[in-house]
Amino acid sequence: MTLKVLIVDDEPPARERLKSLLSEIPDTEVVGEAVNGQQSLDRTHELVPDVVLLDVRMPGMDGIEVARHLNALDEPPAVIFTTAFDEYAVNAFEAHAVGYLLKPIRKEKLAAALVRASRLTRPQLQKVAAAASNGKRRTHIAARRREGLRLIPVEDVQFFLAEQKYTTVRHVSGEDLIEDSLRSLEEELGDDFVRIHRNALVSVRYLERIERSDDGQYFVRLRGCAAPLQVSRRMAGELRDRFRI
Amino acid sequence: MKTDAAGAGRSIYLPDFCTSRASLVVILIVELTALVLTLARQNASIDFWGELARTSFFLLWIGLAAAGLLCLVHENLTKLNVTQGSAVVFALIAAVISIVSAFAIYVGRTEVVNNLGVAELFPHDAGPFVLRNVLIGLIITALALRYFFVTHEWRRNVEMRAAARVHALQARIRPHFLFNSMNTIASLTRTNPVLAEQAVQDLADLFRANLNEKRNILLLQEEVEVAHIYQRIEQLRLGERLRVDWKIDALPNDALVPGLMLQPLLENAIYHGIEPRPEGGTVTVTGEIANGLITIVVRNPVGESTSERGGNQLALANIRERLTLMYEESALVKSGRFDAEYIVTLRFPYVEKRERLVT
Repeated sequence: MTLKVLIVDDEPPARERLKSLLSEIPDTEVVGEAVNGQQSLDRTHELVPDVVLLDVRMPGMDGIEVARHLNALDEPPAVIFTTAFDEYAVNAFEAHAVGYLLKPIRKEKLAAALVRASRLTRPQLQKVAAAASNGKRRTHIAARRREGLRLIPVEDVQFFLAEQKYTTVRHVSGEDLIEDSLRSLEEELGDDFVRIHRNALVSVRYLERIERSDDGQYFVRLRGCAAPLQVSRRMAGELRDRFRI
Repeated sequence: MKTDAAGAGRSIYLPDFCTSRASLVVILIVELTALVLTLARQNASIDFWGELARTSFFLLWIGLAAAGLLCLVHENLTKLNVTQGSAVVFALIAAVISIVSAFAIYVGRTEVVNNLGVAELFPHDAGPFVLRNVLIGLIITALALRYFFVTHEWRRNVEMRAAARVHALQARIRPHFLFNSMNTIASLTRTNPVLAEQAVQDLADLFRANLNEKRNILLLQEEVEVAHIYQRIEQLRLGERLRVDWKIDALPNDALVPGLMLQPLLENAIYHGIEPRPEGGTVTVTGEIANGLITIVVRNPVGESTSERGGNQLALANIRERLTLMYEESALVKSGRFDAEYIVTLRFPYVEKRERLVT
């Protein structure tokens, strides 16, 4: 059975080299290439590769974040990271038994890694992300759509609203459903977002003003959102303190 | 350590008295001494300004003669260690003071002076006069030597710190760039052997420039060449995403600059400004010369702060330190973010001959 491989790297010579190495390894087939995060999600959805060779350092979104989003797919591919030099990442890969290859990659090592390649588990990825990105957080939120996964830049997000099973993310170009819990989002996105209610986390970037209705209820208005969002009594005090209103 | 810097530490700490800068320091010391002596001698019967002029005149002879002599023997002094050198300086100055003092006494006894009726302006107590002058002179010399010694030590300290930072900088930048370049070359070896060969040569040249500790001061032309070589290597990897706009035709090729001044700035600009942007961008290097001052500006686009990579201050601090070491207060290094650009400005005097450097 032939192993279908997707190559993800922003540098053309690096992709060329992997293609040429893979052409010499039997029972493998390069089904496609991608140069950034969104493209690799699209190609994965479309081509369903068995293995993704994923560069750690890429502009826009790094490989570790791409892997986390890939993992949200229904049938996530196996991931092997590639890197030229990245101490933090390599230490994290070692510690959590995640497959990786050092550039310039040797053919034997590539062949061996492909044989061993396995799907990453969610906890594995979270630990690697925490260790390797050195406190850096995700730059995008992955939303599941019919045509595949859509990446929403965190800076475009106006607010998150917790519903029964899913979380709704409202952003400048619409609304999507995501699987992350409000609590984990708040923990990760920390300073740029503020909890205004048990079920609502809003972006400080879009916060326009805080209003008080006649019956003493507080609301916030966000730039680009028509409807005001209710602030819970408990959070109103904190919000006032934080923004000195 | 057996480098030049450490060797210089063991030899004499005196500045080169052949320079106008050192002569100025000598004149300053002389005038201050004259002022102190006159003030100490001050009482109602003495004309202060006349006394100051007389003392200054006498001391200037000693000061300038000593400076001239130290200028002549400077080459030989540098071969001695601190103790030997200081002893020689003391001996020389004692000799100069004795000779000038004796000469003053001699002139005071000549007929011309007596006929002019200004003999009372000259010293007459030959023995005590010379002895007093030598003693005062040696005390002042001791203070001055101490001053030169401390200044020299401070300067050497700064130099050593700068050298240490160069090494730290080299060690920090190399791995990321090295392995990426190796990967590019591995790829080119299969697809384009000619280009691969060129890349290996470029990499070798770049490393030679980096590893060469002796080449502290380069011609601007050489430094620009190193930056070009660096750009060629990065171009292979980044392709169309990297564009560098060189506008430096106005710059004189023979200006002296500290080595690794431009290349790290280009490296920073690419690392922080181009690599993180999926669409790439243009780094602009502008060079101008006006009123004997060279200005080089390196600018690169910067994105939203979210994707910015931290820690680009080390290279900049290092360049600032070395440029200041070379051109003192006439050197300027400025950097900052303006709108969507990060701009680094270097300014330093156009000096084409090594001898004219203040060091």
